[in-house]
Amino acid sequence: MDEDVLTTLKLLIIGESGVGKSSLLLRFTEDTFDPEQSATIGVDFKVKTLAIDGNKAKLAIWDTAGQERFRTLTPSYYRGAQGVILVYDVTKRDTFMKLENWLNELETYTTRNDIVKMLVGNKIDKEDHEVDRNEGLKFARKHSMLFIEASAKTKDGVQCAFEELVEKILQTPGLWESENQGQKVRLGDQEQARAGGCGGYCSIP
Amino acid sequence: MASFVTEVLASSGKLEKEDLSSKIGKMSRKVEDTKEEVCDMINKRYGDFLPCLQGSEELMVQVNAVSKEMDALKNCIENEVQQNMHVAVTEYTKLKQQLEKNTIIISMLQHLKEFHDAMEEFSKALPEKKYVDAANHLEKARESVDSLKGWKTSQLPLLSALSSELTVQRENLIYHLGDEWKRLVVWKLPSSKEPAGQKCFLKVELNLSNASSKGDGPKPAALLCCVLQALAIQGDLQHKMKLFSQVLLKNMLKPLVMYASLSVRVSEQPGEGTTLALQCLEESNEERSTPSQVYSKLLLVLTTLHSHLLDVSIGDKRLSAILGELIWEELSQCITHECLVYSIPTNNNQLEKYSTVIKETEEFEKSLKEMEYLQGDSTDLLKYARDVNCHFASKKCRDVIVAARKLMTSKMHNTVKITPDSKLRLPKLPAPSSEVKLKQETTKEEVTMENSKQLSAWSLRLPACRISESVQQLMELALNTLCEAVGSSTQCTLQLFFTVRNIFQLFYDVVPTYHKENLLKFPHLAAIQHNNCMYLAHHLLTLGHHFRAHLPQPLSEGVATFVDMVPGFRKLGAQCFLTQLNVQRAELLERLSTAQNFCNLDDEDNYIAASKAVRQVIHQLKQLGTVWQDVLPVSIYCKAMGNLLNTAISEIIAKIMMLEDISSEDGEHLHTLCQSIIEEGPLVFIPLAEENKNKKYQEEVPLYVKKWGTFKELVIVLRANLQEIVDRWADGKGPLAVEFSSSEVKSLIRALFQNTERRAVALTKIK
Repeated sequence: MDEDVLTTLKLLIIGESGVGKSSLLLRFTEDTFDPEQSATIGVDFKVKTLAIDGNKAKLAIWDTAGQERFRTLTPSYYRGAQGVILVYDVTKRDTFMKLENWLNELETYTTRNDIVKMLVGNKIDKEDHEVDRNEGLKFARKHSMLFIEASAKTKDGVQCAFEELVEKILQTPGLWESENQGQKVRLGDQEQARAGGCGGYCSIP
Repeated sequence: MASFVTEVLASSGKLEKEDLSSKIGKMSRKVEDTKEEVCDMINKRYGDFLPCLQGSEELMVQVNAVSKEMDALKNCIENEVQQNMHVAVTEYTKLKQQLEKNTIIISMLQHLKEFHDAMEEFSKALPEKKYVDAANHLEKARESVDSLKGWKTSQLPLLSALSSELTVQRENLIYHLGDEWKRLVVWKLPSSKEPAGQKCFLKVELNLSNASSKGDGPKPAALLCCVLQALAIQGDLQHKMKLFSQVLLKNMLKPLVMYASLSVRVSEQPGEGTTLALQCLEESNEERSTPSQVYSKLLLVLTTLHSHLLDVSIGDKRLSAILGELIWEELSQCITHECLVYSIPTNNNQLEKYSTVIKETEEFEKSLKEMEYLQGDSTDLLKYARDVNCHFASKKCRDVIVAARKLMTSKMHNTVKITPDSKLRLPKLPAPSSEVKLKQETTKEEVTMENSKQLSAWSLRLPACRISESVQQLMELALNTLCEAVGSSTQCTLQLFFTVRNIFQLFYDVVPTYHKENLLKFPHLAAIQHNNCMYLAHHLLTLGHHFRAHLPQPLSEGVATFVDMVPGFRKLGAQCFLTQLNVQRAELLERLSTAQNFCNLDDEDNYIAASKAVRQVIHQLKQLGTVWQDVLPVSIYCKAMGNLLNTAISEIIAKIMMLEDISSEDGEHLHTLCQSIIEEGPLVFIPLAEENKNKKYQEEVPLYVKKWGTFKELVIVLRANLQEIVDRWADGKGPLAVEFSSSEVKSLIRALFQNTERRAVALTKIK
C-alpha cells in the first residue's frame, strides 16, 4: 500500500479563531462540511495521501487552535513543518490584519527557512467581502506566499490549495527527504531545479 | 719673583725690628706691675698681719680664763643642785598623782550626784506627765552613766546597778509614753482573719483624741507634742513613727488609692477629737479613680493628720517630714502603679488633655511640700506624670502588640473576599509643604508628556482571592497605629512606627509555628495562609511610602519602609502552599501505588484495585478543586490543580509504558480507565463559584497539564490498530512523534501486538 509513497510532509494550518481552518481540513480529508463546527481545543491532526504528477505524498496535517489562550501551545507544532497554510476570512477584515502577527510567529518558531507558505482567503461563498482579491494577492506577493481564495462550504478552491502547496514543496530542493532511497524521482516532465510553471499564483522573490 | 721675595724678606726684617721694640715695651710694663705687687704683699704681711696676730693671742688667754671659771661652776651644779632637784621632782610627782586621783573621784561623785538628781527629777516629773522634762532628765542620767563607764580603770559594781536602774526607768518612761500615744491616736482596724478586699477596709478608723485626761494634766495638743518630743529624746520616735506609718499606709492611704469607691470622712466631735473614717461611696462604675480624686482623698487625710498631729518640731525636723520620709516612697509607687498607670491616655486626643493631670500632680506635691511632708527636691510623681509621652507611647505599643498577637492566634478560617477593586482605607493625609512646591514646578511645562496609552486600572492589583478576616483586621490595626504615629510627638512616632514593624515581624515568626499542624492538615487553610502572606506583602510594598513624608527624621529620609519584609512574606506564603501541594502529591502517588502497576487487568481483582485507585485520585482532585474554589486566585488555582493532575497522569503513563505485555482485554480496561480520567480530569477545574464560568478553564487543561497531550496520544494508541499508529506517527511528523520517542512507541507496539509480519513491517516505519 505505502510502497509508492514518496515522502511524508508535515503541513500546518494557522490563522485567527473562526476563519475556517478546521472546515478546510474536514473538506479536504472527508469532503464534508459542518456548519456547527466548534472551536478547536489545542490541536487536531489528520493524515491524507495525495497524488501529484504521479507521485504519492502522505500529508500529516496539523490543524491548530486559533484562540488567543492556546497560543502558548502552537509553537511546539511548528517543528519540522514543511508547508503552512495561513487562513483568513474574506468577510472579516481584522482576520486579514492579524496575518502579520501570524507570520511573525511563524518566522520565530519555524525550523526551516525554505518552508512553503500559502495564503488562503476563506468563506468566499458569503456576501459582503471586506478584503478583496487584489489586496490578498498583494499581501501574498509581498511575503513570497502562494495565494488562493476558497470556500470550505462550497468546496471551491480547497483541493487546489492543498495540491499547489504540496507541489511547491516537492519542487523545493532540500525541503523534503525521499522515503525510498534509490527510486527514481518522477516529476512529470519538469526538471527539478527550475521553478515550476504551474498554474498557480506563486510569486518570485 | 726674586724681587718679590726680597721685598718680603726686607719687610719681614723691618717687622722684626718693630716687633722687638713693642715686645720690650711690654715687658717693662710687666716688670713695673710686678714690682708694685711685691711691694703690696710685703706691706700686707708685715704691716697688717703681725698686729692681728698679737691681738688674737691676747684673746686666747682671756678665753682660757673664762672656760676655767665655767668648769668650776659646772661641777658645783652637778654635785649640789642636781641632788636637790631630784628630790623635788619626786615630791611633785607624788603630789600630782594625788591631785589627779582626787579630781577623778570628785567628778565621779559629781556624776553620781547628777544621776541621783536626774532620777529624782525624773520620778517627780513622770507622774505629772511632764514627759519632756522626764525624758531630758533621763537623758542626763544616761550621760552620767556613760561618763562613768568611760573610766574603765575602775570597775565598780555600782555601775551595773546604775545601768540596770537606768534601763528600768527608761522602759518605764517608754511604757508610759506608749500608753499616752495609744490614747491619743486610736486605730480601729479590721481583724486579720477577714479576707483582704475592698469591704474590709470600710471598718478602718483613725481617732486623734483631744479629750483632756482626768485631772489637770496639760492640754492634749501640748501633751502630744511632749510625748513625741520625749520619744525623740529617748530615741524611740523613729520606731513609733514607723509603726504608725505602716498602719497608715496599709489601711488607709493605699486602699484610698486602689479602690475608687472608698473615700474618707473627717468628723470632729468636741469631746472625742477628730476621726478619719473610710467609707464607701455609691458604687462607681470605674474601676480606678482619676488622679484628681486620689489626690483630694489623700490630701484630706494628710492635712488632717498635719493639723492635728504632725505639726510639731522635734529637734530641727518637723514631724511631718519624718512621717513623709517613711511613707513617701511606698505611697508614690502605689499612686504610680495603681492610679497614674491607668490614667495614661490611649490616643492622641487624650494626650493633649493630660496636662491637667500634670498640673494636679504638681499641686498635690506642692501641698505636701507646704506641709513639709516632702523635701524640696523630691518630685517622683511629677517626673512620672511629665514623662507621660514616653509612657503613652510604651502603653500604646504594648496594647498594639497585644492586639496583634490576639489576632494572629485567632482562627484563620473565617475569610473575607478581596477583589482587585478593594482598597485599603488609607487616610487622606495633609500634603507636606515640600510636595506642593514640586507640583508648582511641573506645571510650567506646557507640553504634555503623558502617554496616550495608559495602563489599565487593574494593573498591579491583587487578584481576587480570600484572606483571613483576622489578617484584614491586622492590616487595619497597623494602619490605625501609623495614623496615630503621624499625629504624635517625635519620640512617640518612632516608637509606634517600629511597633508596626514588629507586628509584621511577629506575624512572620508566630503564625507559621502556631498554626503549623492545621496548615499541614487542611489544604483550605494552606491556601488561605498563602493568600494572607501575599496580601500582606502586597500592601507592605507601598505602606511605608504612603506615610513616609509625614514622619520625622530619620524615618522620612528613607528608613520608613517595609519593603525589606516583602520577599520574606512572599517566600513564606509560597512555601506554605508548596508544602501542601507536596502533601497532596504524595497522597496521589500513594493511591496510584495500590493500582498493582496496572498490569494483568484481565484479572478481576487487579482491575478492581486499579479502578479504585483511579477513582480515588479523581475524587481527591475533585475535593481539592472544591475546597480551593473561590479561595485561590484563578491563575494559581489552575496552575496548582494542573500540576497535581499532571503528577497523576505522569505516573499512570510511566506505569503503562513499563508494561511488556498488554492483552487486548488489558488494553480495553486500560483504555476505559484512562478515558475516565480524560473525561473527568478537566471537570475538577472549578476555580470560580459561578458554575457556568468554569467551562473556559476546563477547556484550557492542556495548558495547565504538561503531559495532557502525551496522555491523550497514549489513550489513542491503546485502542488503535497498527495502521492507525503508523499514521499517527507519520514518519516522525505526527503528534505521536511529538509526545513519544520512537523506542517508546516501538515498545508499546510490541506490548500491544503479537509478533507477526505486519507488526514487523509497522515497526520498521517507526523511526
